[in-house]
Amino acid sequence: MRRILDTIYAAAMVGACLSMVGIAALVSVQVGGRILDRVLVLFGSAQLGIAVPSLAEIGGFLLVGAAFLALPETLRAAGHVRVIFLLNILGPGPGRLLTVLVLAVALGLAGWATWHAAAQAWDSWAFDSTSFGVVKVPLWIPQGVMTLGLGLFALALADELAQSLFGEPAFRRAERDRAGGDY
Amino acid sequence: MDITLLSLLLVVVLFGLLLLGLWAGFALLAVGLLAMIFAASAPPGLVFATKIWGSLTSWDLTALPMFVWMGEILYRSKLSSNLFVGLAPLTRSLPGRLLHVNILGCALFAAVSGSSAATTATVGRMSLPELKARGYDLGMAIGTLAGAGTFGFLIPPSIILIVYGAATEQSIARLFLAGILPGLMLAVLFGGYVVLWSMLNRDRMPPPEPRVSLLEGLRALLLLLPTVVLIVVVIGSIYGGLASPTEAAVVGVVGALLISGLSGGLGWPSFVASLRGAAMTSCMITFILLGASFLTVAMGYTVIPRTLAAWIGEQGYSHFALLTALLLFFIVLGMFLDGISMVVLTTSVIMPMVTVAGIDPIWFGVFLVLVVEMSQITPPVGFNLFVLQSITGRGIFEIARMALPFFLLLLLATILLSLFPEIALWLPNTVFSR
Repeated sequence: MRRILDTIYAAAMVGACLSMVGIAALVSVQVGGRILDRVLVLFGSAQLGIAVPSLAEIGGFLLVGAAFLALPETLRAAGHVRVIFLLNILGPGPGRLLTVLVLAVALGLAGWATWHAAAQAWDSWAFDSTSFGVVKVPLWIPQGVMTLGLGLFALALADELAQSLFGEPAFRRAERDRAGGDY
Repeated sequence: MDITLLSLLLVVVLFGLLLLGLWAGFALLAVGLLAMIFAASAPPGLVFATKIWGSLTSWDLTALPMFVWMGEILYRSKLSSNLFVGLAPLTRSLPGRLLHVNILGCALFAAVSGSSAATTATVGRMSLPELKARGYDLGMAIGTLAGAGTFGFLIPPSIILIVYGAATEQSIARLFLAGILPGLMLAVLFGGYVVLWSMLNRDRMPPPEPRVSLLEGLRALLLLLPTVVLIVVVIGSIYGGLASPTEAAVVGVVGALLISGLSGGLGWPSFVASLRGAAMTSCMITFILLGASFLTVAMGYTVIPRTLAAWIGEQGYSHFALLTALLLFFIVLGMFLDGISMVVLTTSVIMPMVTVAGIDPIWFGVFLVLVVEMSQITPPVGFNLFVLQSITGRGIFEIARMALPFFLLLLLATILLSLFPEIALWLPNTVFSR
């Protein structure tokens, strides 16, 4: 079970990283094409006009992929910002109760967010909504990725909640390892 | 529900949840949800999905992961060790000597990384041991670093200005240009303070070191040349209108990969680490933005921001009174909140008020960044303090005391910026009026 979950989170992270590489690659082609054209004009030949169609939209979709698919691993690595001022004051007993409480609230909110993101993706699929640009991307694909990211976030929160009932969840371990240094 | 009561309830819930340790993004989301349940007829879930989809699929925001990644790559390259070697010969003859390395190093690293914490950590890890070994005053060494580390937010590319621009729909290119002169002004103020301090405290300065030859100095500078060229290309392409911030950011990533690849020190493991680190930081920021963008719509339904703006408008406060009140409010807020949460909270609630008062939103962005910089070095919650605590092992309050003069200098900079708004606005206005 542990191995399966960790593989899922890691796979989502790979998706996030690939989205980032995707942004960098597409924009590089766009900028490279523009520079090439300038050079060609300088030497008196015709422009090639290499450009990525609908880059602005696709870049935005990839950003969503990068940000949402990284949610579970960022949680587990204690990458999300929170105030642990009160937690540090409380002893280990009440502190643990607080951690459980916070995880439960977060799980509820993540579940709610996933549900409504899924509803939006479903609507886009049912009504065949596409993006506005030259390249008509069916919107359910990036919206589905967003839903997937939120869903995995909820899964990771449930996982951490279960862990916190029996011992120490991964994000608390990461927070302690960092010993207050947050960067 | 009565609007005053609702406002009070929302404030209590927000700070209650934050204090309990709920993640900032979730806390904003929860308060937004609560506001919609009490004050809106629209279905919260539908509004949530539409709004976050709309505000997060943004081309301008795409610059964010790229600038973060560029910083992550250079953070793992040899740049950090070269910074000290390259800058030390330059500052040797100035009063205050190597203490200036902290300030120049932070300014330089801030120009390739948009994060204050990364700037402080990178420069601190290499300069603090060197300064200590040479017998410099430790309070000054840590203080200059804590203060100058905050440059990361102001000197472009600035992550916090991208967040502000995305949340308030302002031009990120303009915001970047507006940040340049105030950033340089801060560097001069900090440098000036070091000069003054070292002339007044000669007995606390270590004995001077042997002079370096011109050739050696030039060779050291050469180490920094690739990074300086990269900065000029990235900022210059935005300045010259050749590239959008996102495109410039990708040029920065490619350049950073080239520099660290050619100078050695970038293998596959550190490439993957930089990518993972950048994905996590971008994810963290985007998640806060998600909460904030939902809170912004929800607050719109409650009409609290509009009422607040109208009320402020009726009172006829001067700009100065309003800004002073905001400044005090932010300093208190900054003791407990991180910079990004502060900025997004501001944009959800205070922006209409600022617009009604006739304050330029670009200028306000720079003002806000200066205030956020202060929040980085105010205890008990200040990210630069945390970073320095983990490097030096000293207590938060002790480091905060060492950083106090620089907090006051930031305050002075804020006052100067309010008296002479052109410090921020001159550059974007001249560039974009062509």
